[in-house]
Amino acid sequence: MSFKVRLTLVALIVLIMFILHNSFWLWGLDDRVPLLFGFMPFAFSFYVGYTFLALIAMRIIIKLAWPDPPAEVLEPCRGEEPLGK
Amino acid sequence: MTNTVGIGVILLYFTVLVGIGIYGAKVSLKTREDYFLAGRGLGSIAVFMALFASNITAFTIIGHAGFAYGTGYGAYGYVIGWSIFITPFTYYLVGYRSWLLGKRYGYATQPQVFGGIFNSKLVALLFLVLLLYYTLPYLVVSIIGGSLAFTTITDGVVPYWLSSLVIIAISLVYTIPAGLRGTVWTDIFQGAIFLSVACLLLMAVARALGGFSAITEQIVIENPAMLQRGLSPGIAPINWFSFAFINSIAVIVFPQMFTRILAARSSSNLKRVSLYYPLALAAIFGVSTLLGVWGSVAIPGLVGKDADNIVPMLIHQYLSPTWMILGLVVILAIVKSSIDSQLLSVTHLVTDDLLPRFKRFNSESAVFWGRILLVVFAAIAYYIALVRPAAILSIAAFAFSGFSVMLPVMIGALYWPRANKYGACAALIFPALMLHIWYLEILPKWTTFGFMPVFPAFVLAIVTLVVVSYLTPAPPPEQKEKTFGIFDRVFTGGGN
Repeated sequence: MSFKVRLTLVALIVLIMFILHNSFWLWGLDDRVPLLFGFMPFAFSFYVGYTFLALIAMRIIIKLAWPDPPAEVLEPCRGEEPLGK
Repeated sequence: MTNTVGIGVILLYFTVLVGIGIYGAKVSLKTREDYFLAGRGLGSIAVFMALFASNITAFTIIGHAGFAYGTGYGAYGYVIGWSIFITPFTYYLVGYRSWLLGKRYGYATQPQVFGGIFNSKLVALLFLVLLLYYTLPYLVVSIIGGSLAFTTITDGVVPYWLSSLVIIAISLVYTIPAGLRGTVWTDIFQGAIFLSVACLLLMAVARALGGFSAITEQIVIENPAMLQRGLSPGIAPINWFSFAFINSIAVIVFPQMFTRILAARSSSNLKRVSLYYPLALAAIFGVSTLLGVWGSVAIPGLVGKDADNIVPMLIHQYLSPTWMILGLVVILAIVKSSIDSQLLSVTHLVTDDLLPRFKRFNSESAVFWGRILLVVFAAIAYYIALVRPAAILSIAAFAFSGFSVMLPVMIGALYWPRANKYGACAALIFPALMLHIWYLEILPKWTTFGFMPVFPAFVLAIVTLVVVSYLTPAPPPEQKEKTFGIFDRVFTGGGN
């Protein structure tokens, strides 16, 4: 799979997470879904679930598009002073 | 607060911080990179706690609980929902590529990274000016918020002026000798304290109110509107959508956060941080949300700013004096861990990016001047926190939005080889101006189409970057190669 395709998949994951965060059509469930563990209403428990989804999403993104750098790339190349100095 | 145990706990807490400062100074080298970036050698836990503790301010426990008190459970998703995913994602999106360039070319701040990518001193200067412009008021507001909380929780025994002085002075005690290493070590200590004590505090309050289920049933019966997001006008969908462009994506632009990313030892450290960051963020804001909502039925009737005192009031009314002491330590830990990092980052920017424009320093002199400037900025911030000028507070009100609208330039610089310095300059200046015009209400409100100003300003930044870059000459190939050659080797193994 080329890196462009991987990056597109990452963008898709971000889009899905953004849509889920803005899922206003689910707000009608706020007073209908039973309390999770007896104290978490839907407006709260949704984001507990969202947190674990975020964790899974980050794991997929890391697998898909976060390669470790080859050692030679990290070798300092500081022939010139950074701009602003 | 006057009991011996209380004073003992506070003294122990301060002693640990001072000890960390002294030890940090002993192991630190007197070089610029070691003082401001801890020698780019921070491990996973250090980076994680440094980012987390710097990210969490007095707002988390005080302001957010007050907001949840009036808004209900919806406050959780509104304030932190999108951040739970997007903040750690920006550590990948912007952080990792910036870190790669930092390792390779020695960049230590945003002006250096983005001035370097565009090969432009003007881009570097714009980053410097805007970051200082937004960070200084934000620092002052952090001090004001923390000091007010300190004074409230001590029932006024410690007056406001003394609270501010204590908070700033203790921060300086370990930051001056040990630089970033000192702030990071104290972040680990303070972050662990406030995360664990906040969870214990939640359980203690729940117990005092009859248990998790009992207090929730009481809310369902007495104040059912707290469960329904649709009934809170403050978090109407258009605000909910707009707010996603304020605090969550601004975090990576904060200079204190960006610098900590650059200080990571390896790519694996950054991966671990990004992976587990959602859990910590969700936990601390979850505690704050629940305390605020529970407070709405336990201590009803608070209006406006009074609601911001709900956590100290819950502790005061329902828990033993020992909890007041622990609560005070939590507030101090949260406030100081963000203030020290902001102070150090402002000092870092001036030492590394402003002073060298007038005079060149060797590495040891830079550390010396950094320490002097820390004291100078702390004194200025203290004075402003005492005077509280309206102009500074109004800038702080949209500082988050200001940081956010700088993000498109950062992303463009790291992902779009056609982006050039003209586009970057225009995309930094124009949206910042528009943001001021909208917040100062020079233009009528309808010009933002009902959104918060940050959203149209963010879109303007993207459009300006693209249009101006296309209308002006492309960057020379060797300049593109300097940045994107590195990325090609890392992400595609040298091919495309």
